[in-house]
Order: sequence, then structure tokens, then C-alpha cells
Amino acid sequence: MKWITNKTVQSLLHHSTFVLFAIVLTVFGLLSQSFFSFQNLINVLTQASSLGIIATGMTFVLLTAGIDLSVGSIMFLAGVISSKMVVAGFPLWMAFSVVLAVGILFGLMNGFLVVRAKIVPFIVTLATFYMGRGLGLFLSETRAINLPDSFLKIGSTQFFGIPFPIIAFVCVVVIGHLLLTKTVFGKQVYAVGHSTLKSKKAGIKVNGILLKAYLICGLCASIGGLVAISQLGAVSPTFGLQSEFMAIAAAVLGGTSLFGGKGTVFPGTLVGVLLVQCIQNGLVMVNADPYLYPLITGGVIFLVVLIDSLRHLQQQKLKRWGIHQK
Amino acid sequence: MKASFFKTSGAASIIYLCLGYYIVMAFVAPGFFTVNNTWNLLYNLLPLLVIAIGQTFVMITAGIDLSITSIIAVTSITGGYLMSSDTAIFDSPESLIFGVLGMLLVGISIGTLNGIAVARFGMPAFMVTLTTMMLFSGLAIWLTQSQNIYNLPEAFVNMPYSSFLGIPTPVYLGVIVLGLSYFLLNKTLLGEWIYAIGLNVETSRISGVKVARIIIFVYAFSGFCAAIGAIFYTARLETGSPVMGQNILLDVIGAVVIGGTSLFGGKGKIIWTFFGAFFMVLLDNSLNLMSLSFFLIMIVKGSVILIAALLNANREKSLRTT
Repeated sequence: MKWITNKTVQSLLHHSTFVLFAIVLTVFGLLSQSFFSFQNLINVLTQASSLGIIATGMTFVLLTAGIDLSVGSIMFLAGVISSKMVVAGFPLWMAFSVVLAVGILFGLMNGFLVVRAKIVPFIVTLATFYMGRGLGLFLSETRAINLPDSFLKIGSTQFFGIPFPIIAFVCVVVIGHLLLTKTVFGKQVYAVGHSTLKSKKAGIKVNGILLKAYLICGLCASIGGLVAISQLGAVSPTFGLQSEFMAIAAAVLGGTSLFGGKGTVFPGTLVGVLLVQCIQNGLVMVNADPYLYPLITGGVIFLVVLIDSLRHLQQQKLKRWGIHQK
Repeated sequence: MKASFFKTSGAASIIYLCLGYYIVMAFVAPGFFTVNNTWNLLYNLLPLLVIAIGQTFVMITAGIDLSITSIIAVTSITGGYLMSSDTAIFDSPESLIFGVLGMLLVGISIGTLNGIAVARFGMPAFMVTLTTMMLFSGLAIWLTQSQNIYNLPEAFVNMPYSSFLGIPTPVYLGVIVLGLSYFLLNKTLLGEWIYAIGLNVETSRISGVKVARIIIFVYAFSGFCAAIGAIFYTARLETGSPVMGQNILLDVIGAVVIGGTSLFGGKGKIIWTFFGAFFMVLLDNSLNLMSLSFFLIMIVKGSVILIAALLNANREKSLRTT
């Protein structure tokens, strides 16, 4: 049992995500020559941008001990509405602002139902998940929509050699990080996640905080949807399906707790997202069987959660021993 | 007995909602109140009900099982492999028995795996079952290379339409699962322990309840129920499919929660889940009959889940203030 109390082992287990990240990088680096090229780095970041933006929003909701299952539907709706509008001849900026408004609206609806109607977040967002996807399918008539070139142009626009999706990704992560660490709002988000009751007693307007958390999540989901379609060039009826689960998984990989109050956007969620994307990218690079992707991604997520839980159990045991020794 | 049954069930509103909705639809939806459609309702209800019952057990312990869809997929292809005349692993009379047993075994095994991860390793149920969902649905697709398995034995395919003493076989299966789970939850010590764990894990542990074993049982039971659901679906579609049940997850959770089972554990009843599942099926069926499109059905379903939850929340609020 001695090895478990060893400082190095403890810190390794504490940073299990980083350790696994390092292992994943090494394995793919050894298997594929071009994995560590600059071009591939850009590729990974570009592909990770959509998920990263959504996971950043999800982190806010998870921090308040909530959950948002509707992000995939918001993404889908964002894709459908913007492409419909652009195809119909509206200018790009107008389509984008409508989409962002839709994201905010969905976020507000989620937040309002959680706060005012006192329905569990899981159910609220389950319901809005259905509504959003249904609405999206209704608008798109369950058909795939091909986007005009102006969309793809945005996806491949570069500033100083850096593609637009990465810039959006970095912006969202930086803003999210600053919001959580440098503002009163951020501190209050953590407080609400730790204990709603205590936060109320401390004079925090809990309802307002929750509302804002869901709003941020909805907004991020719509931005993530736009970024994703600007790369894909088409919106299929299954677009965004299960991305809520990927976003939650990425946030949890980065150390965010599902029970609220614990987690960070930077480095936490960012690392989680990059880990997921590196696995996917690496598997492509080594020409793995595409059917194996979900198996390996799922396995790695399972491993990280397992290690984290075992460490937690061990700590509790040590604490209990400490009490007995006294 | 009957009066107290209604009084004690806090979620009686779902029962009235079901009955009211049924009566209204009998007038509104064309072809709703016919013998044919009643069979339809029943055949759609049974698998959903059985799977939702398993989910109810898990939710009463304050857990959640997202992996049911993948369990359905894996058990479906297991059954396909064991029974199909294409693979011809067994001769036809035995293949049916081995196929069904194999399906149940696979379902229970995956459930047990979930349970061990939750109970022994202390992993959050949401993450455990989310990853097993990804893993096993990936596995099902990989193993079959996303091909369906056809040519299942006649006896198996005809199972949903066969009958015994004038009552279709699936009804027996559904009633057995319903009765068994009702008995387990209400008449045995195990049932009381399951509620106790949902109310407070720590107190249960201190009072000597074998928490880990019971949690493992609950997930294994959910796996078992999902396997039975998979048997229904596989027989009806006459194929073992690696994507079977992919869209059913939220219906199942919706059914359980509309019934009034709490996501925080300690609260829930089999009979509530029965009506929750019945309501989901009614909704689907009636909206289909009114030839609403698929996406409108989704929107309506979402709103109805919300309204049911709203009714629940309001009732709890009024209970608290009085």
C-alpha cells in the first residue's frame, strides 16, 4: 500500500488526464511520422474547435451542478437556420445574428425552466433537445442542405496563417477562462455549484447565475454549430447528434465534476477536448479501422474516469485511517 | 386498497393524464379506437415498458443507465449470430434456446459491468454508462461491420404473433417482468434496500445494507430488461441489427421520469413507470394516426415531457408548503 501514498504516484494519478494525454501523443507520434507536424497540429486544433467551444459552454452549466442535453439540437438548429437564410439570399451577418439569438433564446428557455419552474435540468434540457431537433428537422424537411461557398470561405479564412475556427476557439476559451477566474460572476458560479443553499444565504442571486450559465451554454452551442458547418459545407439531418455527450465527456475528462463546483475551462476542458480530438486524429493518421474510433475513444474516457474515481476512493480511505490513528 | 393505492401514489396525475388522453384520442384520432390499433399499442408498449422498468430500478438508487441502447444493439446481434441460419452455429431447434439465453446473458453481463464500475470503483453512473454506451454500440457496429443479420428461425420471428390460451405470448412475457419487478420492489427486503440506498447511501451502509451488491444487481437487472426488450425488437424486425434501439434512450428515460420517478433516487414505482411508458406510446401512436410528421411528433413529445415535469414540480411545491 505504500506506493499509493508516494508523492510522485499521487501526483501522477492526480493528473491522470495529462498522463494519458502524454501517452496518447507518444504512441501516435511513434506510429505516425507526420503526427507531430505543424500542419497536423493546425488540423487537430481546427477539428477540435467546434467541440471545444461547445464544451466550454457546457463547463459553465456543469459547474453549477446542472447539465445541458440540448446543445446538439441547438447546433443543428444553428446549422439549418443559417444555411436556409443564406440560401434564401439574406446577408451572412444577418444569418449569424439570428443564429446567435436562437442559441441565446434556447439557453434562456432552459435557464428559465430550471430556475422558475424548478424542473430538474436533465428533464428540461431533454425536452428542449426534442423540441430543437424537431424544429430543425421541420425547417430542413429532413433533408441535407448544401451550403453556398461563402460559408466554406469563412471556414478556410486565415489570419496570419491561422484558420478562422481556431481563432474562434481560442477566443471562446480565453473569454470563458477570464469569466470564471477574474470576475465576480465566475466566483459565484463556483459557489452556486458547491452549495445552492449556502450561496443563497451569502446573498448571491442564485437564479440569475443559473440563468446566465445556461445562456452562455446555449450561445456557445450556436457558435459551435456555425464553426462546425463552416468546415463541413453541409448540414445533414444527423448533424450534432450526440455532441452533447461528447461535450460532457470532454469537460469531465478535463476534471470538471458532474456534481458541480469543481472544474476549469483552462486548462481543464481545453485539455479534455484536445485529448478526444488527438485520439480521433491519431487514429486517422495511423489508418485505423474507422469502426474502432468509438471503441478507443470510449475506452480512454472510461480509463480517465476510473483512475480519478479510484484516487478519490483511496483518499477517502487514507482519511479514514488518519482519523482512526488519532 | 384501491383508494389508498391512488392516494399514496404521488404521481396519480399521470394515470388520469393517460386515461384522459386515451378518451380524447378515441374521438379525435382516426382509427385510434380499433382492435388493430389496440394491438399496435400493446406491441409498442411491451418492449418500452420492460426496458423502462429496468431503468426505474436504477433510478431509484439515484443512478442512471444510458447504456441500454448499446445493450439492445449488442444483444440483438448476439441473438442474430447464434440463431441465424447464415452463421448456422447451432441446429435449428436448439438455436432458439441458445439464442435467447445468449441474449439474456450478454445483457446481464454488460449490466453487471456497469454495476461493478459504479459500486466498486465509485465512478459516477452517468459517465460509466455513457462510456459503455459508446464502447458497446461501437463494438456492435464493428463486429458486424454495420451489416444486419437476417434469416432468423421461424419460431423466433413468429414469437410476437404466437399465442397461448388465446393471449399473445409477448403479453405473458411483459406481465411476468412487470409482476416480478413489482414483487421485488414492494414485497422483498431487497426492494426496501433499493429505496434505502436511493434515499441515503451513507445511512444504508452504516445500517448494514450491502450497498455495492445491490447496486450491481440493479444495473444487471436493467441489462436483463434491455435484453428482453431486444428480444422483442429483434423478433419483430426479423433482423439482428447493430443500430437497433439507437433512438429509444430518451423515450425510456422520458417514460420513467414522466411517471414521477425522481432522478435523485429514493422515489419511484413500477406502476408509475407503466403509465409513463403507456403515455409515451399513446403519444407516438396517436400523433402518427393524425398523420403528423415525424418532426412535429418530436416537438410535441418534448413539450409533453416538459408539461408532465411541470405538473410534478408544482405538486411537489404544493406538498412542501402545506
